[in-house]
This record gives sequence, C-alpha cells and structure tokens, in this order.
Amino acid sequence: MENDAVSLTAVTKSFRAVRAVDGLTLAIPRGQTVALLGPNGAGKSTTIGMLLGLIPPDSGKAVLFGLDPGQAVRQGLAGAMPQEGGLIPRVTVGELLTFVAGTYRAPLPLGQVLALAQMTGLENRRVDKLSGGQAQRVRFAMALVGDPRLIVLDEPTAALDVEARREFWSGMRTLAGRGKTILFSTHYLDEADEQADRVVVIDRGRVVADGTSAEIKKIVALTTVSVTTSGEVSWLGDLPGVRRLEVRGDRVHLRSADPDATVMALARAGAVRDLEVTPADLEDAFVALTAKETV
Amino acid sequence: MFGYIRLELLRTIRDGGYVIFGIASPVVMYLVLSNLALAPGDERSGSIVTMVSMAAYGALGCAFNNGSGIGEDRSAGWLRQLRLTPLGPVQVVAGKIVTGAVGVVPSIAAVLLTGVLVNHVELSPGQWLSIVGLLWAGTIPFALLGLGNGYALTGQTASMANIAAFLGLSIVGGLWVPTMGFPGWLRAIAEWTPSNSYATMSWHVAAGTAPGARAVAILCGWLAVFGLYALYAYRRAGRTA
Ligand SMILES: Nc1ncnc2c1ncn2[C@@H]1O[C@H](COP(=O)(O)OP(=O)(O)O)[C@@H](O)[C@H]1O
Ligand SMILES: [Mg+2]
Repeated sequence: MENDAVSLTAVTKSFRAVRAVDGLTLAIPRGQTVALLGPNGAGKSTTIGMLLGLIPPDSGKAVLFGLDPGQAVRQGLAGAMPQEGGLIPRVTVGELLTFVAGTYRAPLPLGQVLALAQMTGLENRRVDKLSGGQAQRVRFAMALVGDPRLIVLDEPTAALDVEARREFWSGMRTLAGRGKTILFSTHYLDEADEQADRVVVIDRGRVVADGTSAEIKKIVALTTVSVTTSGEVSWLGDLPGVRRLEVRGDRVHLRSADPDATVMALARAGAVRDLEVTPADLEDAFVALTAKETV
Repeated sequence: MFGYIRLELLRTIRDGGYVIFGIASPVVMYLVLSNLALAPGDERSGSIVTMVSMAAYGALGCAFNNGSGIGEDRSAGWLRQLRLTPLGPVQVVAGKIVTGAVGVVPSIAAVLLTGVLVNHVELSPGQWLSIVGLLWAGTIPFALLGLGNGYALTGQTASMANIAAFLGLSIVGGLWVPTMGFPGWLRAIAEWTPSNSYATMSWHVAAGTAPGARAVAILCGWLAVFGLYALYAYRRAGRTA
C-alpha cells in the first residue's frame, strides 16, 4: 500500500513466553490522527517499536510510506518519541534540538519547534536541569524538529499535569492541521476520544476495535438499567435491548443497547422498583472491550 | 555526522570525569612524581620518562571515559533516540570513535606542555612528533575496550568496569611507578599488558631509540582482541536495544 503512512501486516512479536503482539494488522492513511488505546501491557510500545524499525517482528511485515521502516526513518519521513528516555546530560535544549534538526534534510526552524512544544525561552537551559514536564516537551520537540511526515508518540502525556496536557494537545492539533500523520498511544480514554480521528483499541497484542470514537462507543457502550428485584431474574435478560445481565445482591444491572425499550418493558412487567438509568462512557466501553468476555 | 561529533565534543568537555581523569589528574601526578624523581636515570631523563607515563595515563583515562559515555547513552535511551533520526548506525559509531580520538589530544598535550613549560623537557621536533603520534594512535585498543564495556554493560556498571580497567592497566603497566620496582612475577605480567607496550613505544622514542618491535606486536595483538570484543558487544547490544 504505497499510499498508506503506516502498514502493519500480521506482525507478531514474542518475548520468550510472552506474546506481546499477536498477528496485528493496521493501516493508517496519510494525514490521519490515530490513537492506539490499550491498558498497560497491551502491546502498544512493542507495536510502535516494530513500526519504527527498532524491534524486528518475529513474523509479519511493517512498512512506512511503502518503505522498510529503517529506510523510511533514514530518509527523515518519521519522527518519534519513545515511551521513555532519549535525553542526555551536559547539553542545552537548543544544542540538542539543533543537533537533531541537523540530521534531517529540511527541519523546522528552532523557534517554531520551541513554540510548538511550548518551550520558548528554555533553549539555553541544560537538559539535565529540566522538570519532568519540561523534559517531556523536549522529547516531543525531538520528534517533530525534523518536520517528518509521520509523528509517532508513545504515551506522550504520561508525565504531564492537566494544564501541560492541554498545551501539548494544542501543539499536536497544529501539526495535524498541517497534514501530518500522527499515531499516539495512550491508556487515557478521554484523550483518545478527544484527540484522534480514529481509535484503535488493542489488548493482548491484538486489535479488538477500530473506528471513530463514536463508533467505538456504539459497539459496546451500553447504558445500564438497574432495578431492585426479588425472586427469579433470568427473564430480565430476555427484555428488549438487554445484552447482558448482572446480579449484585438484590440489584439487577441490565446492560442495554436500547434503554428506552428496556425501561418500557420493565414498566409493563411492574418491575421498576428503585429504577436507575446510567449512560455509558468510554471508560465502560473500554472495560467491555478489553474484558475477556466481550458482548 | 559533524553535528554529532560537535555535540559529543561539547558533552565531553563538560564532563567532570573527562576533566579529572583525562587532564587534571595526570598533570598533577606528573608534577608530583617528576619532583619525587622515582624514575630511573638522572633527574632530566627521569622527568621525561614520567612525562610520557603520565601523558599515556591521561590518554587512557580519556579513552576509557569515552567508552563509559556509551554505557551512559544506552541507559539514557539516547542510542535508541539516535536510531529514530536519519543518522545511520555506522555514522553513530564512527562519530563516537572520532570524538574519542579527538578527546585524547588535549590530555596528551596538557602533560607534554607541562613537561616543556614547568620541567623544561627538551626533545627534538621529530621526537615530539613521534611521541604525540604514538600516544595518540596507541589509544585505539583501549578506546575499543572501553566501547566494548560500554556496549556490553549498562550505565553505572560500564563506568565501574572502565575505571577498574583504566586504573588496573595504568598501575600494572607501570605508568604510575616504573616496573623496575615491581617484584619479578608482576614485572613478567606487566610486560605483556597493552598499557606497558603502549608507553614503552614512547619511552623508547624519548630515549632516542626506535619504538621497539616487541611492544608494537603486543599492542597490535591487544588491538585485535579488544576490537573483536567491541564488535561482539556492539552486535549483542543491537539485538537487545
Ligand atoms: N523487552 C521485553 N522483554 C520481555 N518482555 C517484554 C519486553 N517488552 C515488552 N514485553 C512484554 O510484552 C507485553 C507488551 O508490552 P508493551 O508493548 O510494552 O505494552 P504497552 O506498551 O501496551 O504497555 C508485556 O507483557 C510486556 O511485559
Ligand atoms: Mg508502553
């Protein structure tokens, strides 16, 4: 697929007994912002390592812009921020970024990079004297200073507070607006929801859902209808819209794709004692997706 | 690659380990030892021998310190970051070797200049050139051993191993105290060490003779050993990075 920025075909990687990535296939067209969403240990970093050419897959194929990942990186087509590390002591922010910029053919001007990474005024600071949040911004700046077409970020906001996170995403949106392809991993659901055109949920090294965040929610985000009952409850599972039934003490929780119909049916049956209706959020969707038993 | 070398040189001159082991300590030790006159011969030739010993000692310090830097870089994830730039692995390794080679020069120069300015050492221009050249080129095996440790071990461990190798080779090789004063068995060992062969070449030149085939051969042997070690460690590190 010459046209895709990223193309992973059935990539698999095991670390001894652990199958970190298990036959994962993913194509990202140019210009898309994609969130790789999954819990810790889902295989996000390993997937990213394979698509950047850092980790050779046991089987399957990774391709960037129609090229071998290592080759694409050598041509300056990709910039990346690994989950951790990459900073060295005894250099200033400006020296470090100037060096990284110099390895690319057509880098961004330093001033612009500092502005995008919200670091203006910090270029003469020693990298080893930065706060955690500032260090994170330098790492981000290293990923984008070469003005690559593809920017890959592994849990970019993990060390940032709320304010810094907001600023970070505003920089990212600027880049997305310039037509960059962006792939970021996260286990923050709200981030995937708000920042990405497309959310790819992975768990145990496999893609378990792939779509816009609205689509992801629709697949599994079920409203919970709860009532208090006594006696036989299994019939509640057959009510319209109900996909799953959970009993906790004398409360029954019905996961429903059509809560209106479910509530109406409960009313007709005279079973609306302590009725409670809770809309789903992406958190629920996520739990449902990555739980062993999906609906 | 010039950008990389520039960056690495900046980091080197700001590195306390480099300044202490590579420059300050050999100069200070030279001043102390040459005044104690431990080396054989009259005061003048003793001062020359000590000057060469301490220049060699400083050069080794730089070479090993450079190798420790690689261990540090690996632990910091810097080598991985470099792999995410258009810089190729060959350029990175070559850049590191050039940086190491350039970094050795100030150390050798500092001790030799101290010799000229403070202890009024006088040698012919040809001798000076040969000594600088031999001391400089002769650091390659040690640079490789240091890099090998940097690739084989991580951060702190690599530094410890390199400092141990540096001090061990300096002492056993007779750079601190001439091997003349060693017990026989230790002297036998010393004569096979790379550090002793390394300094012997320049001691000979300073005394007005040729570097000595035996010393050159032993050093070349170690060059092969450490080169293979560095290559092995580099390959292995690449697989696990
Ligand atoms: N270098 C490694 N050696 C051994 N196991 C690893 C290594 N890297 C990752 N793993 C394992 O592979 C699985 C996926 O890890 P990772 O890709 O880091 O997940 P994520 O980034 O989603 O948290 C985990 O079980 C992790 O312990
Ligand atoms: Mg990870």
